[in-house]
Order: sequence, then C-alpha cells, then structure tokens
Amino acid sequence: MGNLSFKEKHRIPIYDDPTQINNGLVEVDTGKCTGCGFCVKACPADALVIENKLSKMPENHINECMGCGDCVAICPEDAIVVTKGYEYTGFYKTIDRGKFEWPRL
Amino acid sequence: MEKANVIPMDDLEQLKSSYTATEEVILKRRSIRLYKKKQVPEFMINRILEAGRFAPSAGNCQPWKFIVIRDPKVIKGLTDTTIKICKIFKALIDYRFPGKRWRLPIAKFNIKMKPKDLHPVPFGAVTLIADGKLGLYHDAPTVILIFKDVRGVSNPDLDCGIAGQNMVLAAHSMGLGTCWVGFVKLAFQYVLKWKRFFGISYPYKFATSIAVGWPVGDPDGLVTRATHAVDWYENGSKKTVF
Repeated sequence: MGNLSFKEKHRIPIYDDPTQINNGLVEVDTGKCTGCGFCVKACPADALVIENKLSKMPENHINECMGCGDCVAICPEDAIVVTKGYEYTGFYKTIDRGKFEWPRL
Repeated sequence: MEKANVIPMDDLEQLKSSYTATEEVILKRRSIRLYKKKQVPEFMINRILEAGRFAPSAGNCQPWKFIVIRDPKVIKGLTDTTIKICKIFKALIDYRFPGKRWRLPIAKFNIKMKPKDLHPVPFGAVTLIADGKLGLYHDAPTVILIFKDVRGVSNPDLDCGIAGQNMVLAAHSMGLGTCWVGFVKLAFQYVLKWKRFFGISYPYKFATSIAVGWPVGDPDGLVTRATHAVDWYENGSKKTVF
C-alpha cells in the first residue's frame, strides 16, 4: 500500500478536480428494489435518490458516497451492495487499506 | 497481500454460532439517521448512562459530564445555531462551484489553518447541513451531550470516546438506535448562547454528542468494511496481514 510522498505531505490539494477524489459507489439490484426509500433517508451523504420507484445514485452527484454501508444495512430486500469505498489522493490519501470484507471471526 | 487467519463470512451459520452476544452488538451497530417520534423510556437512558459511568479512563479520573436533552425545543435550538455557523463556513470555503473561483485563495488559506475541520468529508457534510438536506440530530427524541473535563489525565477526549462507545453499544443491545454527532461542537465553539444555557464553563469543554431513539425499519444489518494492514511481530520476523 502507498505511503505519502514529500510533495503530498506538504501540499493540501483543494479537491476541486474530480480525479482527486474517488467516491464510494453502491449498486442497486433493480429486480429486488421496491422503492421504499429507507436507503435515501438513511444515507448521510444524500447520495441516493428515488427515481421511477427505484433507488438510484445519480452520476456527477456533488455529494460524495463514503461507502459507509448504512443503505446496505437498512435495505429490507437486501438489494444494495457497496462496490467501492471512497479514496482520496494527496494529503488525505487513503493508506494501508485492503479490500472490502464482510465481518470475519 | 497476505490474508488474516479468520473464518470468512461465506459460512454464515458457522459465523453466527461462533460470535458472542457482545460481538453481535458490535458488528450489527449502525449509525441511525431515521427515528420514530416515540420517546425513549427514562429507565433505558439511565441504563445507558450507567454503561458510560463504568467506562475505563486514564488514572480513573472519569473526566466527563453528561447532559441529557429530551426537550425538542432545545434540540431544535442547538440544530438551528449549528446550521447558521455551517452557512458561514460554507460561504468561507465554498470554491467548488463555477463562478466562485475567486474564493480559491481564501479557501486554501482556511483549509491550511484547519486541515481536520475542513477535510473534504466534513466539508460535504457542512454543505449538506447548511443547505438543510442533512438534519443534525435526525429528529431523535433524546440527545446525550458529552463534555470533557480538560484537567483529566493524559487525553480526556479519548476517555470521553470510550465512555460514549460504551453507551452506544449498551443502547444498541437494548434495541435502540444511536448516531454520533460531532458537528454541535460549532455551537459551543463559536457562540456563547448555548454555553450559557447549559452553564458550561472551565474546566468543561464540549467533546461529542450522541442521538438516541427508536430506529425506523430494521437497520441493524451487517456491512462490508475495508480491511486494514496489521503488522505482526512473531517468532523474530514481521508479516503484514489484511
């Protein structure tokens, strides 16, 4: 995993460039989704909307998904999965992280 | 990339039979942002506070003070003050929209001054709260404010965090929903009103707050989380597992 370079340590980017932030991503199974809207209300980042009775994450949404999984947990139909966690580059670079995993004991 | 020696989630039955009641509470605890209007019974709040009282702390100095708010007017007042300050914050650092590029140097300076408060994640939240899209306490019927005693041994913030996590887990084990809310710090940091209202002065300082209520739906599911690199030193060698 990556460590911070000298330049990254000393320069905070302003994150106005979309390539500097890799937002989280959730995938909604359109076959299972009933459009109950629990996920929209549970989402802290306001990243999901209900469109045509289906939950959807609009593209180019300015509010970023953090991959917290609150929508996954609240979904009564198990229709949502987090496919990508959020990642930053530069000063706030996400370091020493591995893949997403379910609880393991 | 070496994997940690653990039982994966694929074998659900084995996992469920092997985890303890406490582990279940920890794994299934989620931050709740959708509450019923029904008030939480007083005895449950007392039990939650007892869980916080028995938390470990440095030098057993217990550097915390809890304030329970069950008055919707007070919760709304705190929320309104925080929204006002968030609006000012947003105006100071909002450079992301076209036509506001002249704010860039000001934003850069502000971010350099407060790199943690103006991290891109809370910045998103500041914008949402200022726009009224994200409720601060999500209409929770009860709010517990945690104040630290700044004279505490070592790191009072950490002790308050430990006490808070005890309370959150206790609440979840009783079927309640909780959410950590740190943004109210702004209402105590920049305005005198609420400090005066609650009678907060030296040595108390705001640490964090917890919203407590009955969750809507069944939000206590399991989720995936990123694995973190763990270094192991054993038998004279080092390995990194995920």
